[in-house]
Amino acid sequence: MSTGLDLPADASLEVTDDQLEALVGDRALARDDHKNAPGFVIRPDDVQDVLFDLRDQAGFDYLSCVTGQQYADRYESVYHLKKYDDPTQEVSIVVPTSTDDPVSQTAAPVYDAANWAERENFDLVGIDYEGHPDPRRILLPETWQGHPLSLDYNQEKPQVVTLAEHANPLQADQKDSETDTMFLNIGPHHPATHGVLHVKAVLDGETVVDVDPDIGYLHRCEEQMCQQGTYRHQIMPYPDRWDYVSAGLLNEWAYARAVEDLADIEVPEYAQVIRTMGAELCRIAAHMLALGTFALDVFGDFTAVFQYAFRDREVVQDILEDLTGQRLMFNYFRLGGVAWDLPEPREEFFAKTRDFLDDLPQKVSEYEDLIVTNEIFQVRCVDTGILEPEVAKSYGATGPTARGSGVDMDLRRDDPYGYYEHLDWDVITEDGMDNYSRVLVRMGEVEESAKIIEQCVDLLEDWPEDEREIQSNVPRTLKPPADTEVYRGVEAAKGELGIYIRSDGTDKPGRFKIRSPCFHNLSTLPEMTEGEYIPDLIASLGSLDIVLGEVDR
Amino acid sequence: MSGAGLLPVPLQDAEPLLPERLGELTGLDQLGMGGELIATFIAAFIVGNLMLAMTGVAGPWAKRKITAAFTDRIAVNRVGPFGLLIIVADAVRLLAKELIIPENADRPAYDLAPIVVASSAMLGFAVIPMGSGIHLADPEVGLAYVFAVAGIASVGLVMAGYASANKYSMLGGLRAVAQNIAYEIPLVVTGMSVVIFAGTLQMSGIVEAQAETLITLGGLDIPMWYAFVNPFAFVLFLAANFAEVGRNPFDTPEAPTEIVAGYQTEYSSVYFVLIYLGEFLHIFLGGAIIATIFLGGPAGPGPAELGIVWFIVKIWAVFLLTQWLRSALPRVRIDQLIEIGWKGMLVLAFANLVLTALIVGLLEAELALTMVMFP
Amino acid sequence: MIGLLKSMATTMKHALDGNTFTVEYPETTPDVSPRFRGVHKFSQERCIWCRQCENVCPNDTIQIVTDDKRNGEQYNLHIGQCIYCRLCEEVCPVDAILLTQNFEFTADTKHDFVYNKEQLKAVPWYKDIDPLESREPDRGGWIGEGEGEVDYQ
Repeated sequence: MSTGLDLPADASLEVTDDQLEALVGDRALARDDHKNAPGFVIRPDDVQDVLFDLRDQAGFDYLSCVTGQQYADRYESVYHLKKYDDPTQEVSIVVPTSTDDPVSQTAAPVYDAANWAERENFDLVGIDYEGHPDPRRILLPETWQGHPLSLDYNQEKPQVVTLAEHANPLQADQKDSETDTMFLNIGPHHPATHGVLHVKAVLDGETVVDVDPDIGYLHRCEEQMCQQGTYRHQIMPYPDRWDYVSAGLLNEWAYARAVEDLADIEVPEYAQVIRTMGAELCRIAAHMLALGTFALDVFGDFTAVFQYAFRDREVVQDILEDLTGQRLMFNYFRLGGVAWDLPEPREEFFAKTRDFLDDLPQKVSEYEDLIVTNEIFQVRCVDTGILEPEVAKSYGATGPTARGSGVDMDLRRDDPYGYYEHLDWDVITEDGMDNYSRVLVRMGEVEESAKIIEQCVDLLEDWPEDEREIQSNVPRTLKPPADTEVYRGVEAAKGELGIYIRSDGTDKPGRFKIRSPCFHNLSTLPEMTEGEYIPDLIASLGSLDIVLGEVDR
Repeated sequence: MSGAGLLPVPLQDAEPLLPERLGELTGLDQLGMGGELIATFIAAFIVGNLMLAMTGVAGPWAKRKITAAFTDRIAVNRVGPFGLLIIVADAVRLLAKELIIPENADRPAYDLAPIVVASSAMLGFAVIPMGSGIHLADPEVGLAYVFAVAGIASVGLVMAGYASANKYSMLGGLRAVAQNIAYEIPLVVTGMSVVIFAGTLQMSGIVEAQAETLITLGGLDIPMWYAFVNPFAFVLFLAANFAEVGRNPFDTPEAPTEIVAGYQTEYSSVYFVLIYLGEFLHIFLGGAIIATIFLGGPAGPGPAELGIVWFIVKIWAVFLLTQWLRSALPRVRIDQLIEIGWKGMLVLAFANLVLTALIVGLLEAELALTMVMFP
Repeated sequence: MIGLLKSMATTMKHALDGNTFTVEYPETTPDVSPRFRGVHKFSQERCIWCRQCENVCPNDTIQIVTDDKRNGEQYNLHIGQCIYCRLCEEVCPVDAILLTQNFEFTADTKHDFVYNKEQLKAVPWYKDIDPLESREPDRGGWIGEGEGEVDYQ
């Protein structure tokens, strides 16, 4: 459908509010603006229509998140759209459906990312998506009764999860007379699934014909737990436990950023510098682990690279322990700042950090020798696990996974928060689209993070003593006005970690939705691995660097 | 430089074998056939235990220590001096575990596989001259015999993989057999280039042929070990051997991160010990073959009685090399592995064979010519 | 080939330099940061039974029982369920509950991890370090006396 609008040809150019309104036209039943983006309420059968227009004519090529929630009188799916070229341009499409018949048109034909996201909403909230290509539960077992995040969910009802043999859901379409295929359960307990991931694979010899990641083994109701915690204190410890491999501060920042925008809390500049430094330390630790475990997948044993990566990560963790008091579950950020100033004596902390930064180039060159220039490593990783940039975008891939495919998006630069915009650093992208590129991106990011930390340390060292304000004044009980909605993302170790919060006037969120980068990155796995060999499947899985705690939440 | 092929090694001049010497020593040879048989058993028992002891040290202890050194860790050091008693502890632990047999396992094959894997390696040691007179048998087809019995292991692996009724085991077994076929040929063909040099398949003959001095550098006699004579064949043989015994970077049949543990996924307790022992025995057998046909067997400085020491040092050097590669190199993919085997190693192995044959033939012709001209 | 040799050289260098980064715990104990958060310590003398810690605890680890005159009777804390977020210490106006650096605790069953107030009082300092100073408590007004050693027994 042509609107005859004069929309900017270049997707990175700003689409004004008026243009959006004209584009959605009379399909918009009402406006429902969120704190971060203009919002349009549309009818449940207009979903594809509107989203196609927004994608093709206004350049919103990135479906960041699909939130499902239930109000007293209706169900609601919220499509949070962004642009890869300019993630500050956002629009929310709100699709209400009735409580009796919560059926809404699927967005899966428009964005592949909607596939898993809508399955999750069906699973947890209970919204049906008409025309969905794969309308199954995703986190909970198939036999689960009820939808846990819906208002009428009966928690007391006992659930029966059968121990019956796994039916082979893939076999029907993969069995023909020409070839004999084998169905193989990779996981949930397997040396290379990085946690409890279950990959249902169909093999033709050693070739992967079909894969279907089965997630949810580590589902811990994190969204619900956050909905039961108070904004001010009780939610902050939980983000540490999503991506639990030392990316804690990055996750905490996602929550902090969302609530600070929701409740208009200012953060002192000094605290922002500390946050930036801490977050980048976490990024180094997380990337070291990613590097180590990827090497583990490719080398095949707990051998040198894995151990060296852990040894180097240990140094970062010591610094973080000095700063935050914990090695993994930091709980260091507070709304409006951080919990503590730098540890005394400050000189010692600076010296320790600088020592680490000074040693880093030598360590990086060691990894270059061990991994990057190793010919066997190259034949294993170059041109395996190909993820085309267009595919990556459609699936909503972010972080090193997208940047390894040449998608130049980094929220730290494109949607600045913290102190990043005042610092000098680069976004690393590689055009290889393969496992090798993703490794290179992570290694490059470690070096960039080191640059950021160094600048932060310089700043902190010279910071005047009487201006070291670590927290702004935040009321002890925070009650944002009712029905304020915000969706905010930060660049976590794995990609865009977004938080959607709807306040209901109390001191606890009405709806707390986590947009997990690992979840969306993992959904690209079939695209990357079909037609490749089992070892490439394992390597691709490793190169995605998923953490099941964040995939399943 | 060569020419040993011209002179057939006289059998009667060879050192007496271990069973014969034992027979003489104990007087068992006076008892006729039966006595000789007993002496042979005793000798085999000695050699077998020597090798088992080495794997016992290598498996639970040395492997951990070596890996730890490569990865900047400490590793076993609590039980006994240098943690050596971990060997006892591990033995007790592994043997005390419950033997779990999968419901659908193909029983006789499942039970036989570990025995086949372990015993095929043990059989190979029978013809290896280990120095200090430790040499069980010296048939004329010694080298062919070693390759043949070592190859039986792949039957054991495919048995284990098939009989376990596990898809990962199945994949591992298939990978093992594909890999063994692909690398057995280059291995044997490269081994044959040595035979061309030595002019015999007999192990003692090959060792003897390497005893001469190749070149004297600064007063240092470099022996005519075939590793020095033909380093290309040596490297080729090393690589093929690592693939044959499934070591990094060719450990695809086990490939822990891909197919869990390959053919040994379903094995536990005693059976696991046997398979594990078998693997280490195969590494050592590979080391023994390399030492014998490329590194001069038990040759080394000092009196001949030290032969066994040098021999064991050489085997351990090969073992160390496997562990070094394990820590440093990624595993190649199965299709790449097969490709390297058929398209690379095989061609190179035959090239090496033809080249060696040409050189040896030319040298011999020259030698013959010299003899004709200067009788 | 050069890449392979470089890899091998790198690992061999590590094998030969003899450095190790692991330590022989428990002979060599790690230095924990003064801010490190371990098992709680409780001071009944200081506690005013205001229940703030109980309320703030994100996963209901703390259970306080008072009589009808709001005199404290029980203070139970499940250290196995605790997520060591330190919010109880943060909200406590009188520093009655604080997290020591002690991370070495074991029990046979998870029920043994339910500490009552006597057990919480008896939790030892790790390496005799009182972590309170390094955490910069800004509660002078509440503590009143302020100076001198803080006695937790």
